[in-house]
Amino acid sequence: MLKWSIIFDNLPFLLAGAWTTLSLTVVSMIFATVAGLLVGLMNMFGGRVIGAITRVYIEAVRGTPALLLILIVYYALPRIGLNLPMFPAAAVSLAVCYAAYIAEVFRSAVESIPKGQSEAAFSLGMNQAQALRHVILPQTFRRVLPPLANEFAALIKDTSLVAFISMEDLLFKAKIIGARTYNVFSPYIGAAIIYLIMTTPVMQWSRNLEKKVE
Amino acid sequence: MAGDMMMSQGKLLVVDDVHKSFGSLEVIKGVSFDMDCKERLVLMGPSGSGKSTLVRCINWIEPPSAGRITFDGKLVESGKYDIRRLREDIGMVFQQFNVFPHLTALQNVALGPLVVKKTTRKEAEAEAMELLAKVGLAHRADYKPGQMSGGEQQRVAIARALAMHPKLMLFDEPTSSIDVELIHEVLDVMVKLADEGMTMIVVTHEMGFAKEVADRVIFMDQGLIIESGSPSRVFEHPQQERTLSFLSKVLLA
Repeated sequence: MLKWSIIFDNLPFLLAGAWTTLSLTVVSMIFATVAGLLVGLMNMFGGRVIGAITRVYIEAVRGTPALLLILIVYYALPRIGLNLPMFPAAAVSLAVCYAAYIAEVFRSAVESIPKGQSEAAFSLGMNQAQALRHVILPQTFRRVLPPLANEFAALIKDTSLVAFISMEDLLFKAKIIGARTYNVFSPYIGAAIIYLIMTTPVMQWSRNLEKKVE
Repeated sequence: MAGDMMMSQGKLLVVDDVHKSFGSLEVIKGVSFDMDCKERLVLMGPSGSGKSTLVRCINWIEPPSAGRITFDGKLVESGKYDIRRLREDIGMVFQQFNVFPHLTALQNVALGPLVVKKTTRKEAEAEAMELLAKVGLAHRADYKPGQMSGGEQQRVAIARALAMHPKLMLFDEPTSSIDVELIHEVLDVMVKLADEGMTMIVVTHEMGFAKEVADRVIFMDQGLIIESGSPSRVFEHPQQERTLSFLSKVLLA
């Protein structure tokens, strides 16, 4: 049975979880974006060997569940001496996972720039790096924002996977309340509402950006 | 051999038996010609004759599959450094303009010197402003390409190429994507450049321009040079059937 009082009485507790969710999202997203850009560029311009290595990484990550990656980093890596505290472990796993998706976002954005643009840059005597930095990447910036915002919204939801390693994010807090009050319905509905409050503006922002780019 | 060396002395550009294939399709089948400083060459021919590809081979935007290109006395080799230097010395104007849409006209023109020649921003922008004035676009300095007509964009592209102080300018069908009533804006700028002594190779079907400006017209078909000579000779007394049939089509168009 849905009891609003349970949600309101435990609101600070839930919001503390939401704060964990949000900070984990932001930290992971920053690392994923930087890494994704680098991986994407290496994939496109790194030559045959680096191109193949990054391709394997991208496909491997896209083909396995994010949860598996979190479990590997938090539970399996310590067995070989790589011990990460909970928050960094969660952030690293999510960043490694999302960097692969974001690399593809950057790749398709760069490929959408007409070939004449790099030809014009080369015809002025620029090398590959100069052409990328001054001509290609500035033009991709507007095109990557909408899909990046989408990834951000997806990441907000995917951080809930860290409940599996008992990290006290929004979902885990809701679970705790459920166990304490013997009412699972109310805290989960409360968590859903808070997730929506976080994701909806981001998705709306992405849609607006898309319209602007067109 | 010694004779060859003598011949290429003083030549700005020597194209020697250049071939270019895309996969199994050979687009250029052994083209040779040379040109002096200040010479103006017009390249004509039906579409698919390889004239654009030939021009793109000269600054290595399309690396030739075989043959030798000597520019300014130096054999161009596929080592990266040489190609980059070569491109600094050869300006290129494209059919689709290829101006940089995220930059203003002024920034478009200043970018090459800033990035490649490491000129100071102040100097680069001052010269860019002069070049924009030269192509009649001083009043568009702060406009972005999206706010300009095709003729204006192409003139920005010409100014952008000139900013590198090239020894040779390549024009690859510079007026083919421009509204008919604006073509003269671009041609006027090109005539002005020719009058100032710029060495240029122009791929175009503009007969009037060729007659007024060209020292030599080269006519290509199916990847080969089939005829070349002064505009009056090629236009009025073509030796080849294919030249004649092409010219009659262009004149009717």
